[in-house]
Amino acid sequence: MARPGFATRLYQGEANLNIVGRRKMWFTIAAALVAIAIGSFAINRFHLGIEFAGGSEFSVPAQVDGKTFEQSEIQQAVETAVHGVDPEAQVNAAQQVGDGTDANYKIRTSELSATEMAEAKTALAEDLGIEVTAISDQQVSSAWGGAVIDKAMLGLVIFLVLVSAYLVVRFEWRMAVAALTSLLFDLIFTAGVYSLVQFELTPYTVIGFLTILGYSLYDVVVVFDKVQENTRGITASNTRTYAEATNLAVNQTLMRSLNTGLVALLPVGGVLFIGAGLLGAGTLKDLGLVLFVGMGVGVISSILFAAPVLSWLKDRDPKIKAHNARVLARRAQQSNDVARGERSRSAGATEGDEVSVLAGTSTPRPGARTTQKRGGANRPGTKRR
Amino acid sequence: MHPGRQLGVLGLVFVVLYLCVFFAAGAEGSWKQRLEPKLGLDLIGGTQATYIASQQGAPPRPEDMELAREIIQSRVDALGVSEAEVVIQGNNTIVVSLAGKADEQLKGLEQAANMRFRLVTGVTGDVSSVALNPPSPAPSASASGSAAPSPSAGASSAPAPKAEDAKPSATPSTGGQGGGAAAPSPSATPSATPSPAASAAAPAPVSADIEEQRAAIKKKVGADAWAAAEKLTAPVDLSADPKAGLPFKAFAELSGTEVAALSPQMQFNVPTISCEQLNARPNGSIDGVDSEVVACQDGVYKVMLDKAEVVGDDIDEASPQLDTQQNQWVVSLDFKSEGQKKWTALTKKAYEAGPSDPCYVAVTSMYADADHCAVAVVLDKEIISAPQIQGVLTGQSQITGDFNGASAKKLADQLNFGAIPVTFDAGPAQTVSATVGDQQLQAGLLAAAIGLGLVAVYAFFYYRLLGLVIFLSLGLSALLTFGALVFLGRSIGFTLTLAGIVGFIVSLGVAADSFVIYFERLKDEIHEGRSPRSAVPRAWQRAKRTIISANAITIMCAVVLYIVSIGQVQGLAFALGLSTMLDLLVVFLFRHPIMSLLASTPAFMSPRVSGLGRALRRGQTEESGSSRVKEA
Repeated sequence: MARPGFATRLYQGEANLNIVGRRKMWFTIAAALVAIAIGSFAINRFHLGIEFAGGSEFSVPAQVDGKTFEQSEIQQAVETAVHGVDPEAQVNAAQQVGDGTDANYKIRTSELSATEMAEAKTALAEDLGIEVTAISDQQVSSAWGGAVIDKAMLGLVIFLVLVSAYLVVRFEWRMAVAALTSLLFDLIFTAGVYSLVQFELTPYTVIGFLTILGYSLYDVVVVFDKVQENTRGITASNTRTYAEATNLAVNQTLMRSLNTGLVALLPVGGVLFIGAGLLGAGTLKDLGLVLFVGMGVGVISSILFAAPVLSWLKDRDPKIKAHNARVLARRAQQSNDVARGERSRSAGATEGDEVSVLAGTSTPRPGARTTQKRGGANRPGTKRR
Repeated sequence: MHPGRQLGVLGLVFVVLYLCVFFAAGAEGSWKQRLEPKLGLDLIGGTQATYIASQQGAPPRPEDMELAREIIQSRVDALGVSEAEVVIQGNNTIVVSLAGKADEQLKGLEQAANMRFRLVTGVTGDVSSVALNPPSPAPSASASGSAAPSPSAGASSAPAPKAEDAKPSATPSTGGQGGGAAAPSPSATPSATPSPAASAAAPAPVSADIEEQRAAIKKKVGADAWAAAEKLTAPVDLSADPKAGLPFKAFAELSGTEVAALSPQMQFNVPTISCEQLNARPNGSIDGVDSEVVACQDGVYKVMLDKAEVVGDDIDEASPQLDTQQNQWVVSLDFKSEGQKKWTALTKKAYEAGPSDPCYVAVTSMYADADHCAVAVVLDKEIISAPQIQGVLTGQSQITGDFNGASAKKLADQLNFGAIPVTFDAGPAQTVSATVGDQQLQAGLLAAAIGLGLVAVYAFFYYRLLGLVIFLSLGLSALLTFGALVFLGRSIGFTLTLAGIVGFIVSLGVAADSFVIYFERLKDEIHEGRSPRSAVPRAWQRAKRTIISANAITIMCAVVLYIVSIGQVQGLAFALGLSTMLDLLVVFLFRHPIMSLLASTPAFMSPRVSGLGRALRRGQTEESGSSRVKEA
């Protein structure tokens, strides 16, 4: 029988990618990324937006010398004037304050020095055809003081403690550690991207960042749920090592992970596309970007990082260690039998991968199936109920 | 539970929610207006108030301004889940912006909230009106002291009937100084004023600035009146001589700022200085911890207060409570350990004061049957209450006053968040336009539509008919979310910002995610050769566990962030928690029953109709394929 295409195997949860077996590679990649991110924190730091760093504010009357200005007009003029002195400067959207003849337009920009400010004001006044004195400027503080961030970080810490407790109760401590490690990786990676590319850090970035928290763990929990199911009572049989069972779970949930990743990223992609593509800078771009990066890495790390970390931790558990040794011993003994069925492995597959097929899976591959039909002698203890 | 019943429950939830949307929590206006969610500052603009800090000439220190900003931010946040913006402008101005029309909420935000506990050492009536327009001689007392003219006479002549002083103390004209004069102690004068020593010491630590102001006032009121006022050691007794107030007439013309520049003794003793003038003193004028001050009680008494022995910083935690016995709101206080010691010392001093203590004399002119001194609870310029101390207080204490639920909470919040280190003057509230504007809002909604469309396309492509189930439940989630937004916007002030909109867009994806978990499970089950009828409940059992644990984490995240954090982060947490709860609701009450119903239809298994069919078909071909292998 012809081997089904990769897409179909993926669909069936039988892609049999050797993910956990290559954990050294994933760890190396992850460590490198974290090192780069941390290096970037130290060197580049973050590019803080007006809301964090404070800035300058222009105030232009809506009506002066018999002239009336539209908001868009002022916005345009200020942008031109400010970018004339500092092309890098950020200019926020104009706001109208007050009504009627008292109305003012206020526009915040990133901080300008006194001379820059004076130049910008002169240019602006010229552009609008009004007196320089009609335009006032002021320094504004950050709207997001240290307290907001401090409290958010406190919340983060409390959440991590609670969620660890929850994961320990719901799963076990090794899974909790693996899940949190993966979460930390996601957060550091996302922050690293921001620091490295020098995207501007706005309140919306922080909000998006906190949203990733739940989502990242959500992915990991789904994978671990399957791992737990597959490895329940694993020591009772001698068919699979823990790493193999984990790899199987990852493969089985692979389609789900990709699906959910895609489904969750589609709307975010829409936001990012609209925000960055059509509107340029602004809230939508800020949010879309951080969510896209964070959720994307969340999906990937739940597969490539969390599960390998878990198997690595588990292999240090004496019970599992003994079990793995038993499985390997048994396998060596039976190596003769290995002739039957199913030899069409791809070249790069490791022994562990191969054996996981031999030992049977809950959604077994073609050819292996007959030996573990329900009730078959070789049925793994993991398949309950 | 029967699928129909679950759908019924969902229908009920839906109906109740939308009844709330249309009829509860102050819904009014046309149908369309009732369907409007409360939009945030960034989307529709709002109201902006400016507070200018004044710290005796010099600009306030930057760190004080930042602290003030944070305190004001906390106070705004305590109003509800409305994402306000608080920034410092220039070096002395704080600008607060709130979504929508919010003039009411912006009131009093700048209040310093300096709480002081001071012993009441002197009480006199606000007799300014009588002092300025003395009634013609004899029956005058009866005219002003309408309630009880006779005790007033008794108070000024006979020392005995102290207990009956209740009535006169309530009527301004005869008030406290009658009691003060009648005090049995030999030192009749200092009994009302704190002590001669204190009044002598008071002028000493006055700044050059104040000295200057006093010189100006001296000129304004005239040297004679000034000298007379300086000579006073006790409030002028108008009951003895109704015309005694006339020499001080010019003092009635002083502004609040000018009155504040006078020594406390003068403010207290000069009969023509009214409560109105005292209340018009600038903010922060009686905050000094180490000085005696004068304040007004109920607009009727001028009260001389001792140095502040206990201050707001000594309070560990304040909370509003409903005293069920008295059926009134109180603010309950827990002191810090150091503060508790000071508080105990202060109450001991008040409780154990003998009849000759000035505070004892003072309190008797306020309360008829007083036998212990009173401690005034002063917030900024106002005496909240001045209760008699009925015992040495060593534990939790309560502030009683004229509170309702809202004002008790406000005071507790103010005490908890701490006092603002600078004093502000409020400017007018102005409207502000949206920061983000229509363009971004429309783009956000467009992005939502695109996102939903993409998810739908993907779901239909991948799951065929089941995609319809996904699509319907997403639509249902969206309707429930919208209803909740409208209702919560009105009832607890939850505002929808652009960030919130994006949050809900994201939650669409996460909601779709729980479907994928379920359907993939279903696929596994069918793959193993189960019939749809038995696969659906089995897959549900397993997927339920996964979905609940995954959502539990999101809800945990939301709850923790909501409780701990402030500002916009809190708004985010609320939106996150809300959408996750609604997701669970839809999963349990819509998707599961619908799938149970679908499982019993034959079309469900057709490969063309449901994406599951492919799994089924593959399973079958494999079956035959493997058997061939076996044969071979």
